[in-house]
Amino acid sequence: PKSSSSTTLTGTTDLDTLLGKDLGALRDIVINANPAQPPLTLLVLHSLLCQRYRVLSTVHVHSSVTNVPPQLLSCLGPRHADSYARQMFQLGFTLIWKDVPKLQMKFSVQNMCPIEGEANVARFLFKLLAPYPSDPALATLVDSWVDTAFFQLVECSAKERAAVLRALNSALGRSPWLVGPEFSLADIACYCCVMQSGLASSAPTNVQRWLKACENLGHFACVVQFLQ
Amino acid sequence: MALNLTINTSNPPLGALLAAEHVKGSVQVSVKEGNDTQLHVSDSIQFSDANSISRYLARVAPALGLYGANMMEQTEVDHWLEFSARRLCGQPGLTVALDELNKALSLRTFLVGHALTLADLSIWAALQGHEEWPRQSESFSHVNRWFSFLSSQVPFTSIGTKYTSKKA
Repeated sequence: PKSSSSTTLTGTTDLDTLLGKDLGALRDIVINANPAQPPLTLLVLHSLLCQRYRVLSTVHVHSSVTNVPPQLLSCLGPRHADSYARQMFQLGFTLIWKDVPKLQMKFSVQNMCPIEGEANVARFLFKLLAPYPSDPALATLVDSWVDTAFFQLVECSAKERAAVLRALNSALGRSPWLVGPEFSLADIACYCCVMQSGLASSAPTNVQRWLKACENLGHFACVVQFLQ
Repeated sequence: MALNLTINTSNPPLGALLAAEHVKGSVQVSVKEGNDTQLHVSDSIQFSDANSISRYLARVAPALGLYGANMMEQTEVDHWLEFSARRLCGQPGLTVALDELNKALSLRTFLVGHALTLADLSIWAALQGHEEWPRQSESFSHVNRWFSFLSSQVPFTSIGTKYTSKKA
């Protein structure tokens, strides 16, 4: 049995410490995503952010795309009743469906370059929820699984995917979650990519057990809904 | 703690080698030549891709700031690590990627923040190892300035001569 502390994300809630001093304007995370590849990981992280912070979520459709399915328009939940009062929120989460070759995040544009790639945006959002492991090897293992999920499970051949499933299975034979005793971004990224690639039914035993354990946390309801 | 880095000599991971050179005052890393690139951390943990090796080395020597000074810089470093692996390394037709890189460097001395990070190491390494870069360098003045600035410094000079000549 796992303790409940290992499955909830505990971290600092002080955005000033994480992101620097608040200058008065809403901190708005703007994401341009292609409707052909809905960013499931980011939807999961968005719902976790909403449990922690007061988030003003908005979905827009850019003129470069047409016929965006209704489930993509409502993927961040119903429109907030207080959306006119931006000062009531701690974070803005603005998702724009757009014809982009690669997912892109714009945040704090005076200081930061636009961030490309769902993996990197996921790393950023996760750090707003919980710190990475303090051990350098475990922290790097988290990043390495995130890369594996996005670049080998989603993009590669059936043979490479099978190799990743075997690696997942052996890691999950050693510990309940992918990187040691704590639920981490590695679990979120690998869960979403396994589900998105349709590999769940052909997954080996430990992976099956872990998929169930992930679902039991309740963080992935939006993914399951999405893939139906 | 001594770390063992084995490198594939036919395709040396220049970015990871540069990271190893930078951290060697803080942590002992011995470099061996072999068939496959791998950083041996412990019997249960090994990293075999250049970005993971670089990330780990930056994290064991946090005082050097190679992973950026705050969370936003870390995210920019992550962006450039992926950019180097997916848009530069082994990719034909560098023009579009170089154009983006040139814009990013137009007002900057280093890619992220005001000091050297893994972003500089990995992008420099990708260009240094790319056969198209010398031909294209004249067209991208900001990238060229930044590339020459880094190339003139130790350990970029030593890594550049030692491993690039071997590859060719």
